[in-house]
Amino acid sequence: MSPLLHILKFKILTFIKLQDELNFKSLLKQLSASVVYLLFAIGIFFFTRNIINYLMEDVKIGMFLLHRFVFVVLFIFFMTVNIGNIVVSYSTFFKTREVGFLLTMPISFAKIFLIKFFDNFFYSSSTLLLMVSAALAGYTSYFGLPWYFIPLAVVFLILPFMFIAGTLGAITLLVIMRFAATFGIKKVLVTIASAYGTAVILFYNFSSPVQLVTKVFEYFPNINNYFGFLESPAIKLLPNHWVADALYWISSGRFIAAGWYIYLLIVVSILFFLFSLYLAKKWFYKAWLVFLNLSGELSVKKKSKGTVTCTFENKSSLKPRREALVKRELLLFIREPSQWTHFIIMLFLITIFILSISNIDVMILNAYNIYLKTLIYLIIYLFNVFLIASMSLRFIFPLVSLEGETIWKIRSAPLNYKKLMLTRLFIYFSVIFVIGQLLNFVSNYQFSIMLTLISQLNTALVTITLVSLNFGMGAAYANYKEKNPIRVASSQGASLTFLFTIIYLVFLVVLLFAPLTNYFYAMDKGSFASLSQLLYTSLILGMISFIVAYLSISKGVRLFTKDI
Amino acid sequence: MLKLTNLTKKFGTFTAVNNINLEINAGDFFGFLGQNGAGKTTTIKMITGLYAPTNGTVQIGGYDIQKNHIEAKKLIGYIPDQPFLYEKLTGKEFLFFCGGLYKIEKYKLKNKIDETIDQLKIEQWVDKRTEEYSQGMKQRIAIASALLHNPNLLVVDEPMVGLDPQSALVVKNVLKQKASEGVAIFMSTHSLNVAEEVCSRIGMIKDGQMIFEDKKEVVEEIIGTDHQNLESLFLQMTK
Repeated sequence: MSPLLHILKFKILTFIKLQDELNFKSLLKQLSASVVYLLFAIGIFFFTRNIINYLMEDVKIGMFLLHRFVFVVLFIFFMTVNIGNIVVSYSTFFKTREVGFLLTMPISFAKIFLIKFFDNFFYSSSTLLLMVSAALAGYTSYFGLPWYFIPLAVVFLILPFMFIAGTLGAITLLVIMRFAATFGIKKVLVTIASAYGTAVILFYNFSSPVQLVTKVFEYFPNINNYFGFLESPAIKLLPNHWVADALYWISSGRFIAAGWYIYLLIVVSILFFLFSLYLAKKWFYKAWLVFLNLSGELSVKKKSKGTVTCTFENKSSLKPRREALVKRELLLFIREPSQWTHFIIMLFLITIFILSISNIDVMILNAYNIYLKTLIYLIIYLFNVFLIASMSLRFIFPLVSLEGETIWKIRSAPLNYKKLMLTRLFIYFSVIFVIGQLLNFVSNYQFSIMLTLISQLNTALVTITLVSLNFGMGAAYANYKEKNPIRVASSQGASLTFLFTIIYLVFLVVLLFAPLTNYFYAMDKGSFASLSQLLYTSLILGMISFIVAYLSISKGVRLFTKDI
Repeated sequence: MLKLTNLTKKFGTFTAVNNINLEINAGDFFGFLGQNGAGKTTTIKMITGLYAPTNGTVQIGGYDIQKNHIEAKKLIGYIPDQPFLYEKLTGKEFLFFCGGLYKIEKYKLKNKIDETIDQLKIEQWVDKRTEEYSQGMKQRIAIASALLHNPNLLVVDEPMVGLDPQSALVVKNVLKQKASEGVAIFMSTHSLNVAEEVCSRIGMIKDGQMIFEDKKEVVEEIIGTDHQNLESLFLQMTK
């Protein structure tokens, strides 16, 4: 048996044994998780079917624009998988002890890369795959396609699409590490980040959704036709365009026309994969050495610098215990590259988002019907909440696990665990809270002051809910052996939290839809837009946030004190 | 079997290992001593291919570990101080896994695993998942995994850490036996009494530089004239 198959066999064995010994408690936990996954999939199914129904029957956007909407959603999905793979690959390729172990074995570097790539790809993309499969089922149901379209589309459309995003992520990481040796990590990271930023801006410039909608509606009522000639040729080179077009032709019953896009997706995914293997053969070991050198250089710099602003030697106005906790948290954060780099990437995405929505209010006000206004407003709002949720999952969920190897000190110290956890939680909550408020303000400030204020309040309540939820779930699924926060934030417990978050997002849509539609309707008619309905939503959100915060924090603290 | 030539490793401006030259032949049991942070583990990581030297070369059985890493690694059995084990696999499964990486045929591997289990006295818990193991148990599984392919060179980093006296005795005996069978052993350790007992050659590293290297007989001579034991010699030299 080749070493590759041999390792994969044992990886599968490890995966099968991943769960603890079977007992009632673990069985119940697994069963609950499965039920949540199932409910979530069902939720996505109905959500997708209803949203397509809403767009086609109420907003009446037609087949072509519906698939351009899918095209934009797939772009976001592509970037999520791609950036997710870059970030998680960094820890999977270089930070795990398994790689160190495999490097001492007589195995080629390309094979080690391959094993870790698959490990990473399926580990970080499985929840997304579940979401897409459920969404595909909703799509299939709306268009009355046969049931076997779902597995076929997953295998021949979605997996190659995700594979392109994943391999591109791995290739980008290898390029970053390789060129970091020559030009320095900061320059390379800035260059790559600029390239991604440019790609996002170019995408919106070339695809220009608003112009496309206007142009397509010039052909009204024949809006189900294919209007590919109205689009820039540049965007036809993108994999999300191939998937969207394949879906358009399939749902129009022209399967042969879809074949070309499926062929393109499969061939390009194979080419990307082979290219990543070629690069790994040449650069994987070099990249590993660059990682080691970076770690070494960082530790040397720390030694030689000696003084930093946040040193324990400095006087502080905080009480000794609080000072110790705050300074420890800050120092551990800024000295852990996977923490601050991920934080910077998120801030970068938020900046792009803020820049791209700076004129969104004008777009909403100019939208041709109130349903579209509500839809655009809700999408922007949900994106705000999604960013808050992502930050909570990435930085709050691992909080308890990251006590890790120092838990002996914390647990043997004369500490009030509740205060300890609340202090830590407050540090991260403050940052996420400020970002959430800023995001919300940017996307609302051109509306009335009252709507902006209510929205700020709602966002604050949503932030409290999501932060508390992530804290509680992080404590329930704490893994004190895992030192890597990225791995903690992509564990099974984290996936489950993510699912709860999505359910919460759907709940927000349901809660806000009617009051917002009424508000925009009143604005459209020039009559008095009552905000009382929106205020009721704040009341409901407030109650939920109180319940979630109380349960999560009290449960989280209790779980922290259990035997380990 | 092992040849280090002008071996140097720098991390930025910090030199962790500075121009080490060393040759270890079949049957040599080399004890590598040094204070914490002296450069022992960095040297070992260069020998095993985990680090690339900034300057110099590491040759194993004539193969340069950087240029021909697969052939070189086939000859090495590496026992790290904190061994990595797949927590969800049992000790025995882990041994099968490691044997497979060296392409050992199944029937030979099975016999070898049984033999190694017996030799290291790990039969009682070899079928339990490694997540249940103590440090000593993990260490013995790591040693067993390093012996499966009959390596020509054993690279051992702090083998006695966390071992109880019985386990330490077992490990010492196994290593001594391997040396007597002609395996070259490169062992870094803080246990000076162990080095004194089992090694045929002693080297000392300080601030990345090899400050002493000779046969055990020479070390004993020096001890006999100026010092009471290896510990006082070591303390004197690394002061």
